[in-house]
Amino acid sequence: MNCDSVGKLIPLYFYGELLPEEEDRVEAHLHECAACAREMEKQRALAAALDRRQAASQPMLLAECRADLMAAIQGGAPRTGGTEKGPWTLFLEAIGISFTGFNRYRQPVGAVALVALGFFAARFTGAGMGNLAIQPNSGAPMAYNASMTSPDDVFSTVRSVQPDNSGRVQIALDETRRRVISGNIGDPNIQKFLVAAASEENPAVRVESVGLLKSRVDSSEVRDALLNALAHDPNAEVRLKALEGLKGLAGDPEVRKTLAQVLLADDNAAVRMQSIDLLVTRHDDSMVGVLQNLVQKDGNSAVRLKCEKALKDMNASVGTF
Amino acid sequence: MAQDAAGAVGARLSPHVDSLIRAAQGGDQDAFEQLIRTYDQSVLRLAMNLLRSPEDARDVYQEAFLRVYRNLHSFRFDCSFHTWLYRIVTNICLDQLRKRKVRKEEPAVVETSEGPIDRMETFEEEAAQSDPERSMWNGQLKRRIDGALEDLTPRERMVFELRHYQGLRLRNIGEMLGTTEEAAKNCLFRATQKMRSALGDFV
Repeated sequence: MNCDSVGKLIPLYFYGELLPEEEDRVEAHLHECAACAREMEKQRALAAALDRRQAASQPMLLAECRADLMAAIQGGAPRTGGTEKGPWTLFLEAIGISFTGFNRYRQPVGAVALVALGFFAARFTGAGMGNLAIQPNSGAPMAYNASMTSPDDVFSTVRSVQPDNSGRVQIALDETRRRVISGNIGDPNIQKFLVAAASEENPAVRVESVGLLKSRVDSSEVRDALLNALAHDPNAEVRLKALEGLKGLAGDPEVRKTLAQVLLADDNAAVRMQSIDLLVTRHDDSMVGVLQNLVQKDGNSAVRLKCEKALKDMNASVGTF
Repeated sequence: MAQDAAGAVGARLSPHVDSLIRAAQGGDQDAFEQLIRTYDQSVLRLAMNLLRSPEDARDVYQEAFLRVYRNLHSFRFDCSFHTWLYRIVTNICLDQLRKRKVRKEEPAVVETSEGPIDRMETFEEEAAQSDPERSMWNGQLKRRIDGALEDLTPRERMVFELRHYQGLRLRNIGEMLGTTEEAAKNCLFRATQKMRSALGDFV
């Protein structure tokens, strides 16, 4: 065996891919030939260098992939909603912060966030009694008789910090006053607040409010708020909550009309999938066309799969003729 | 080097996998989930290694296992499930790699306002480097390796990945890629030669 032919076999020898007799011949040559032995060393060094360029295992990514897959197969939880978001995550989202890849900002942002948390932590709990006229987002002032805390809680957010050369520091604070209202969720006034909160700017508040409203869909005002959230809210989490709330109204023509629009227009696959789930709980021939259209046009394979299944369950053809 | 493959091969030999497949074919959702969990870690790692993007790896995972879900009924046990699965996965990954070759997109290193950041940086097991000279050398080597891997054809890249990182035999790789063992050998040889010449003075 000459150096040229051994050189061609070195990679295969390294990976143990030679026949036993070829392997013996290469080994014999390597013992005798210093140049080829060096080539073999280079092969080992290359492999060692490449070993270090391997992606590490990704437990979080793997868990997300599994959740996505099962959601796609079962038509269940969305990618973003696979794991229930805690108030902290929702709060950070609300103030437009994502920590992914920004670990180094975690502490300072967290510090400001803690101060600011008071803005967003409003919950319908609290003690103390009082009467107060409250101006809701729209409409006339509403005389409201419910439990209220003292109006003296003041919360601060640090807006800027400016040190000077003398060792002093100037800190600018935004202060806001908190009032806590508590009442039964069945209370029509509480319901009015929730409906107003469902279109608040803060998505965390919208998610929470829409989530609470879903148990009150017997009221037409609440139904309309949920339909509005489903059709127009920019946050998918809110739209999914609205969908949950509308589950009991799958037969309502207005709800079905909105669901059909959502199916064709919503950019979130999980929302589209859950809309399909809701639509197919009632047999409705007018939906066949919508679903057939979706099978052809939807960019997401899981949605297409779900449509196909829905059409099959309805004994309808998957294609249009 | 072949830790994933060891798991996958172990699973392939297990009669338990056969019973999971049969149960899943009969509509048992739990069995399907267990079956997926036996293989999905190595599938995800393969996709991450090849595509160097968590988003793309996620897409590959979803697409591959949805295809498995849709087509499991047609699996007839005439090859191992592992080979069947990897035919699906490698096809999807090869498509992605070919598209990238055309578009030349998604480099591993992206420019940001804070200078270049390696998208894979957070995904690798890197020991903390206290020696700056060694750290710089490692950085250069890493870039050179990335460049060398990108210069391989998608098929060479795939064969190399499956042999070097997943520890699969070339015969098996040929079977997955619909080619012969001989062709897989040639691919591996070409890939190795290209990388050795690209990395020249580093190794």
